[in-house]
Amino acid sequence: MKKLLALVAVLALFLAACSNSSSESAENDNSTASEEVNLYTSRHYDVDDELFAKFEEETGIKVNVISGEEDELLERIKREGEATEADLLYTADVGRLYRAKEEGVLESAESDVLFEQIPEKYRDEDNQWFGLTKRARVIVYNKETVKPEDLSTYEALAEEEWNGRVLIRSSENIYNQSLLASFIAIDGEEQATAWAEGMVNNFARDPEGGDRDQAKAIAAGIGDVAIMNTYYLGQMVNSDDPEEVKVAENLGVFFPNQETTGTHVNVSGAGMVKGAKNKENAIKLLEFLSAEEAQGTFAEANYEYPVNEAVPAAELLQSWGEFKEQEIPLSELGTNNSKAVMIFNQVGWK
Amino acid sequence: MTIEIKDVCFSYRNSKELAIDHFCMTIETGEVISILGRSGSGKSTMLRILAGLEIPEKGEFRLYEETMFDGKHFVQPEKRGIGLVFQDYALFPHMTVLDNVKFGLSHLSRTERLKRANEVLELVEMGDYKKRYPHQLSGGQQQRVALARALAPNPKLLLLDEPFSNLDKELQYKIREELYSILKRAQITSIFVTHDEDDAHTIADRIVKLDKGKITKIGRPCDMLGTPLKRPEVILK
Amino acid sequence: MRKLSYYLNGWTILSVIIVLSLLSPMLPIIGGLLAPSSENWEHIKEYMLQDYMKTSFLLVFYTAVGTIVIGTSLAWLIAQYEFPLSRFYKWALILPLSIPPFIAAYTYSGMMSYTGVIQTTLRNVFNMPVNQKFFDIMNIPGAIFIYTMFLFPYVYTITRVFLTQQAASLVESAKLLGKGPWAIFFKVVLPISRAAIIGGVSLVSLEVLNDYGVVKYYGIQTFSTAIFQTWFGLGDIDAAIKLAASLMTFVVLMLVVEKLLRGTKQFSYSNTKVNPLPKVRLTGFRKWGAFGYVTLIFCLAFLIPVIQLIDWFVLTWGAIPNDEFTTYIRNSMLVAGIASVVIIAGSLIVGNFQRFAKGRIGKVLPKFTIVGYSIPGAVIAVAIVTMFIWLDRQLGSLYSAWGLDSTLVLSTSVVMLVVAYIVRFFAIGYNAIESGYDKIGVNFSLASRMLGASVTKTFFKVDIPLLKGAIISGLMLVFVDIMKEIPLTLILRPFNFETLATKAFQYAGDEKIMQASQPSLIIIAMSALAIFIFYRLLDKEDAK
Repeated sequence: MKKLLALVAVLALFLAACSNSSSESAENDNSTASEEVNLYTSRHYDVDDELFAKFEEETGIKVNVISGEEDELLERIKREGEATEADLLYTADVGRLYRAKEEGVLESAESDVLFEQIPEKYRDEDNQWFGLTKRARVIVYNKETVKPEDLSTYEALAEEEWNGRVLIRSSENIYNQSLLASFIAIDGEEQATAWAEGMVNNFARDPEGGDRDQAKAIAAGIGDVAIMNTYYLGQMVNSDDPEEVKVAENLGVFFPNQETTGTHVNVSGAGMVKGAKNKENAIKLLEFLSAEEAQGTFAEANYEYPVNEAVPAAELLQSWGEFKEQEIPLSELGTNNSKAVMIFNQVGWK
Repeated sequence: MTIEIKDVCFSYRNSKELAIDHFCMTIETGEVISILGRSGSGKSTMLRILAGLEIPEKGEFRLYEETMFDGKHFVQPEKRGIGLVFQDYALFPHMTVLDNVKFGLSHLSRTERLKRANEVLELVEMGDYKKRYPHQLSGGQQQRVALARALAPNPKLLLLDEPFSNLDKELQYKIREELYSILKRAQITSIFVTHDEDDAHTIADRIVKLDKGKITKIGRPCDMLGTPLKRPEVILK
Repeated sequence: MRKLSYYLNGWTILSVIIVLSLLSPMLPIIGGLLAPSSENWEHIKEYMLQDYMKTSFLLVFYTAVGTIVIGTSLAWLIAQYEFPLSRFYKWALILPLSIPPFIAAYTYSGMMSYTGVIQTTLRNVFNMPVNQKFFDIMNIPGAIFIYTMFLFPYVYTITRVFLTQQAASLVESAKLLGKGPWAIFFKVVLPISRAAIIGGVSLVSLEVLNDYGVVKYYGIQTFSTAIFQTWFGLGDIDAAIKLAASLMTFVVLMLVVEKLLRGTKQFSYSNTKVNPLPKVRLTGFRKWGAFGYVTLIFCLAFLIPVIQLIDWFVLTWGAIPNDEFTTYIRNSMLVAGIASVVIIAGSLIVGNFQRFAKGRIGKVLPKFTIVGYSIPGAVIAVAIVTMFIWLDRQLGSLYSAWGLDSTLVLSTSVVMLVVAYIVRFFAIGYNAIESGYDKIGVNFSLASRMLGASVTKTFFKVDIPLLKGAIISGLMLVFVDIMKEIPLTLILRPFNFETLATKAFQYAGDEKIMQASQPSLIIIAMSALAIFIFYRLLDKEDAK
């Protein structure tokens, strides 16, 4: 009996602690109703948390965060409907913001500050979402076996000469989906399919691992060139692990398609959730994140390219040089996403 | 007429045959009845039906004018006031001998409970083993504790399932004698199930022979040598 | 009529309510089965289903074989023999469960990669370049290795307990018949442990079938991939739910078939006496052989990855903010603690109902609680969100009466997450409790009732004390599982609610396995501590 009582006591304690923590947040809800902003984010970087803390310090507006995976968060917002507590949906890829807009869970936000800080091409045409950082998806190569002169375009990697030398991660990855989506937008479905097919033929191995693993595979001699995002490379150059640094140092960065359609860029950004209860605060947060200071932090700490043109990229990024970007509306990446996935499946890109 | 069992039928799920086929008998106060049969004859099933652990398809069972079951009523086992000694004793392994015996006495006050427990333990001559746990006892001792536990609440009817099957031969004879004297001393109406003719003949006042769920013979041990009766009900009256 | 009144007691009603409320969130998913095929269905069928199902089958099959071989052989060695450290390994072999498989996958591929410890040592110290092929773990065999190493404790735990407590007489009679240890293992131990092994392996198989973390990183395409590609890639959640529902139907069918097949062959223990297996002391090469084998498994499944994580932890010390970690620990403990206690309490009630239920329905109904464990967590999450939003709408007027201005109260609280855990992990707790009930049989309870105790009194006075061992191991398994749970926690948590697992995922998901080492190590340490404490309690029970 004593043990039973103990069990009940433990349970009660747990429940008390539980209701306690939820009442804490409830209190916040009430007392600071006008001084908070609720964020669903699929970016999970420490630098984001730092920036939110700084924003809170400067404005007194508390940033509440649920970080998860973008599609699941989008689904949660959809199901919550008008009652949703979310004010902003912050994703690592613009494709998802496009989808959110399509699903009708976003609304427009007007702010001259935002319009000034974020160039038009990095914003939704109806101002429902705003790009905050960008990453280039570039070719990296083994400095010993590949000369930069051998490289030209993404398309060239699908040609005979690269047979068995190309490394890239699996098609499940959103960055690859956006890459192919951009080709569909530029060259049309047929050519994009041919490219994907050629790439699969040239794979040095079945796609596995993440972007960093492709870089390591070059060092290991499995392949000679890889397609990866710039900020992963930035992180490797500055890694805590000396072996990773060594790997990164032997890699060259090449911005493809400079003579033609430009290097593929994907944008990370945030959309204004329809019926946002703290819309003004949400706009303030967006303004803060696109202002020079925060953009500088993104650049320095996370090796992302700033969207704000007044802010220079990190030194490392600058050392790789300037480049020309693809000139398609970013929303095209979203429009063509599911087509891209189908093409990947058809050509057997794992 | 103390105990009246009328027309009890029972069949197991997934089986069309009757495991108990129109079982009828009456038992007088203080009688010791043995249900004798081979394994599969339905004898343990009958015991479980009386205990309330199985629900019969039809039939009636009255214990001292009180209906245990009939077409309309069914009394839950814990409300019947019937004691049952399991074949494997089922002594609670997490309780001492004394706690096992006290378990069925929760309706009494603390002191009365202790008094009654001691009483029955003395009756089965296990007074010295109160603090032991079941696994520290021999088979014969466990059996006696199980008996004491079943006797403690003063059941109106005591059921014993193969009381000697787990004991070796020598012990079996000894316990058999003891059981008989305990049952007689306690003046308790009891039914025990066995497959051993010897057991039945030694302690039973009357024997019920059961085969494939049907009563084939019923009577005093000395009457049991004749041919099977065609209609056992005849001598019930 | 009589029968109805016999069955219609509080226990039946409560059990039916528990099972139905566990199943109710699944309704939208089951409904998905009936939904019309979308335009993507042809594409899914043509390019995804067949190959992906084949891969899933391969993974499940080989992992099942692997965990049976390793789990049962270890259980047999530990239950039957004494050799160096065998007492330590008895509980240490459960420890691999404390490592989340996705962390294990990252850790192993990190170690084996070009910059990993093995290759760098060979390269830098011995100047030996190696053939990369032998170091590639990110493929199907590699995934099977990860699953086998980090899931075999499910089989090991259940089988060991069974062998220790039930196998003595059978094993001894086999010995008297002149069978050697190998023959006993294959001819006696494996067949008699069938029920225990199947119990463990079905949990392992479901875990493999549903896993997305390992296969996503390794670039392997399984049925889960099909579900998520349909959802994320094609943006077609209805088709994704339909796929998940098919998976669920398949799993339930398999379980029912298994139950029916087993129904006739169930070993029953009419005897309420427990006869422990006496231990044999090994000598000579056998002693070292057994020690070597067990040690090898322990190193691969626990020691090596943990040492690697510690190494990374040291490398990244100071690089990640760690002032919030006490909060994460508290949050993890809180949700895992509440959910596991509720699951075990519910399992005890349903299990008690199940063992006295006479009909097939009563026996099989509780088995359906496994549906929560049969499909990927993210799909369950959608179902749970849907249910809670519906609930919140129903309770809306109540909220405004209380003066709450929010319309989403339950679904923005931690309650939603805890309920999701309960729906998902109920089967794990129930499995442990049910086998506990099987082991004690019904006679103790019947004896108690014959002594005038009601079902409820019997439950507290007789059943619970006798089930202590099962309760402890059930709590342990559920707790450890929830500590490392990912998709539900990510999607269903309230604002600003971080747990150790979400933190570990945050880094690992961004390819920062080194930074992920810190939360991962805390998860492992806490789970290991829980395993150790539960084991000590369990050992005390055994000794009684």
